[in-house]
Amino acid sequence: MAERDCSLQLQEEVERVLRAAAAGGAAGGLAIAGGASRTGFNLPLGGHRLDVGEHRGVIDYQPDELMLRVRSGTPLAELQALLAAEGQRFAADIPQPGAASTIGGAVASGWDGPARAFGQSLRDSLIGCRMLNGRGEIVNFGGQVMKNVAGYDLSRLQVGALGTLGVLLDVSLRLLPRPECSLTRSFLVPAADLPQWWQKTRSLRPLISGACHRNGRLYLRLSGRRAAVRPLLDSLGGEDSDFDWSALRDLRHDFFSAEQLAAVYLPRGAPPAQYSGDVMVDWEGARTWVAGGDHPALQRRAGEAGGFVRVLRGRPTQVADSGRGWQRRIRRAFDPQGIFNPHLAETCFTGGEV
Amino acid sequence: MHSKRDPIVEALCRILPGDRVISGCERVAPFECDALPVYRERPRAVALVRSEAEVVAVARLCREWQVPLVSRGAGTGLSAGARPDAGGILLVTSPMDRILSIDPDAMTARVQPGVVNLQISRAAAAQNLFYAPDPSSQIACSIGGNVAENAGGVHCLKYGVTVQNVTGLRLVTIDGEVLTAGGDCPAQPGYDLLALVHGSEGGLGIVTEVTVRLTPQPSRTRMLMADFPTVRAAADAVSAIVRAGVIPAALEMMDALAIEATEKFCHPGYALDAAAILLIDLDGQPQEVAADMAVVEPVLARSGATRVQRAADAAQRELWWKGRKSAFPAVGRLSPDYYCIDGTVPRHRIGDVLEAIDRFAARYQLRVANVFHAGDGNLHPIIMFNGREVDAVDRVEHLAADILEYCIEVGGTITGEHGVGLEKIDQMAVQFSDAEIAQFLAVKDALDPDRLLNPGKLIPTLAHCQEYRMLRKSDG
Repeated sequence: MAERDCSLQLQEEVERVLRAAAAGGAAGGLAIAGGASRTGFNLPLGGHRLDVGEHRGVIDYQPDELMLRVRSGTPLAELQALLAAEGQRFAADIPQPGAASTIGGAVASGWDGPARAFGQSLRDSLIGCRMLNGRGEIVNFGGQVMKNVAGYDLSRLQVGALGTLGVLLDVSLRLLPRPECSLTRSFLVPAADLPQWWQKTRSLRPLISGACHRNGRLYLRLSGRRAAVRPLLDSLGGEDSDFDWSALRDLRHDFFSAEQLAAVYLPRGAPPAQYSGDVMVDWEGARTWVAGGDHPALQRRAGEAGGFVRVLRGRPTQVADSGRGWQRRIRRAFDPQGIFNPHLAETCFTGGEV
Repeated sequence: MHSKRDPIVEALCRILPGDRVISGCERVAPFECDALPVYRERPRAVALVRSEAEVVAVARLCREWQVPLVSRGAGTGLSAGARPDAGGILLVTSPMDRILSIDPDAMTARVQPGVVNLQISRAAAAQNLFYAPDPSSQIACSIGGNVAENAGGVHCLKYGVTVQNVTGLRLVTIDGEVLTAGGDCPAQPGYDLLALVHGSEGGLGIVTEVTVRLTPQPSRTRMLMADFPTVRAAADAVSAIVRAGVIPAALEMMDALAIEATEKFCHPGYALDAAAILLIDLDGQPQEVAADMAVVEPVLARSGATRVQRAADAAQRELWWKGRKSAFPAVGRLSPDYYCIDGTVPRHRIGDVLEAIDRFAARYQLRVANVFHAGDGNLHPIIMFNGREVDAVDRVEHLAADILEYCIEVGGTITGEHGVGLEKIDQMAVQFSDAEIAQFLAVKDALDPDRLLNPGKLIPTLAHCQEYRMLRKSDG
C-alpha cells in the first residue's frame, strides 16, 4: 500500500491561501478533493483544488483493538481488502462510488449504505480525527479509544460536513469482526404491503443487515453466525437471492445512473408515500431512492412528513439554516475566512439564511 | 422566604411559581454539589423547571442579566460538572420527568430530560424493548444528564454509549432559542448538532427533550466468570476474545482488592485467591450465543484462566453482577474515603497501565482497587485514602494526575464516561494543545458567546492551561 504523509504540504497550501486573503486578495477558497468520485452526485469541485489524494497510508492497525487509523487520502478499496484479510470490516457500511473513493471523502460526505438502518452508521464509527482548520493549524480530536468524553465531540461533527469545517488529515475508525455469513432472501411483495413487513423485520434484529424493495420484490439480508442465520432464513421462506448489496451501497446499480436522482428520508414508521418516477426502497422504508422524480414536490412532501430530501443529480434543493444561523456560526468557529469548500457550505449548510 | 433584595431572585419569581424558586444559604445547600462532593458551591438561586417554556425564560433572564447558568438533572455526576456557580442560577430539570411517547414501530421513546434512565427500559419492557446505556447510577440518573455527559455503562461495548442511542433532541440556547437536532429519521441534513451536544456538559445549551433509540431485548443472555492468576493474563484475555471475533454485551474486570471488598460486602461468590476475574455477558439469538460461548470458553482457557464458570441461572447471573455493581460502596467499607477516575486506554495497553498504577500508588503510599469496563479499555481505578491524614488529599490528587497522564501517553484519554467537569479541567491542558483548546472555545462561543453556560467546566481557558503545564513541569 502506498504511503505518504503530505500534512505539511497541505498545511503550507492552506497558509498560502490565508496569507493571500489577509493581504486583501480574493480568498477564492479551496476545493478539497480526495478521489473525486462523488462529483457526479451534486458534490462538484469548485475553485482552487486542494488535492488530498496523495496523503495516504495506514498509520495504525491492530486487529485486536478493532481500530484503524489511516490517512484520509487512502483508497477505500485498499482498506476493505486489508481488513478482510484479518477477518474484519468497518463498523459502518461505507459507500464507495468509484475505484478511487477515499476514506476521507467517505467521512466528509457522510453517506451510509443499506446497513445504516440496522446500526452500522458512519458517524457512530468515527472515533477520532486529525485535521487542518481554517487558521492553518493541525488539530486532533477524539482519539483511538471507543469511549472518550474529553472536550466536545468535534470529530463526529466532521462526518457529513463536506469538508466545510477543515481538511481531514487522519481518521480513526471503529471496526468489527466480519460476520460468518451473509445471506439474502427475496419475496414477492406489493409496495402496499411493505408497512406490515417492516413490523415483521423488527423481529429479525440483530441479524438483519439489509432491507430493500425494488420492482415488486423485497430483499432481506441476514448476517451473523451460520448456526443462527440458517434456521431464521428457513423460518422466513422466500427464495435465495444474489441481490448485489454492494451495488446499492456504492450507487453503482443501473438505477443510480438516472439524470434526476434523489434520496427521500422519512421518519421510521411514516406512512409510505406514492412517488412519480422509478423508486427503490431502502432502510425499511426510511430512505427511498427516486429516479426521475419531481424534486421540489418530493421536498415539500418529505418536509410535511418530518423528513427531508437529498438531491444527488438534478438541481440541488437549498438547505435552509434552521434557527438564527447556528450552522454559520459553527462554520466560522472552524474556518473564520470561509476558505474550505465555500460553494458546498452555501448550498448544504448556511444557505437560505436571512 | 426569599431574600427579596436580590433582583435575580425577584425576576425568577416572576417566571416561576415561588415554590419552585429556592434561595437563601440554608435552602440551597442540598444543591451545592453533585456526586463528587469535594467540589461544593452554593448557587445564588435554584430554579426547578417543569417545561421548555420555563427553561427558555430562565435562559433569557440569565442572558439579560449576564449571570452564569448551570443546569443539572439528578446530580449523580462524578466530575463536578453540575457544581453550581456562586453568582449564578442552578437550573434543575428533574421535575420534567414525563415519558411523552413510546413508538414500538419506530423503536423510539420521546422523553423529558428529567426521566430516570431505568424508567425508560421499564416503560418499554411491555414492547420487549429496552434503553441500552446503563450507567451504574441508572436507578437515579436522568436522561438529560446522560446526554450532557455522554454516559456509558456496562453494556456499551456492544450497544454503544448515549450518543449512539439518541436519535433526536431539543436544545435551548442561552438566547432562549430552541434548536432541534436529529429526529425520527435515521439520517439528518446539516452539521451533526446531535453529536456535538452529547458530552458538552451543559456548556452549549439545555436539553429539554430527548428521543432515544430502543433496542429489542435479546432472546438469550449467558454469563461467564473466569479467574486468572495474574492481572496481565486477564488483560490479555480481553484482547484475545475480541480478536477471536466475539463482541460480548459486557466484558468487565475486577482485581484482587476489588474482589476482596465485594466478597465481604455482598458475597457474590468470587474467587478470593484470583488475581483478577473477568465477568462476561454474551447475548443475542440462542444459536448465536451458543456459538459465541463455544469460541470464548477455549479462548479463556488458552489465556491462562484457572477456572471458567457459567452462571447456572438468572439468579446466579444477577448475584455475579450485583458484586460488580456494588464494588464502589464495597470499597467504601474498606477505606474511610475513596476517589475514582475513569481514564480510557487501548485494550492491549490495559496490562501495562494496571502495572503502572501499582507503581505510582506505591510512590504515594496509597492503595488502588480496580474494577472496570475492560472491553472498552475504560479503567476505574479506585484510590483508597483517609481524608483525615494531613496530606492525603494532596497525594491522591497527584496520583490521579499521574495515572491520567499515563493514560494519555499510551494513546488513551483522561475520561471515558464520567466527564471533565471541574475535576479533570487541569488534565485537559495535557491532553490538548493550545490550538485544540482554542478550537473548543471557538465552538462554545458560537453557541454561548458570553460563556454563561456552565462556566469554567469542561474546557479550560488558555491561561489556565499554560499555568497548569508550568506547575506540572516544576513538580518534575
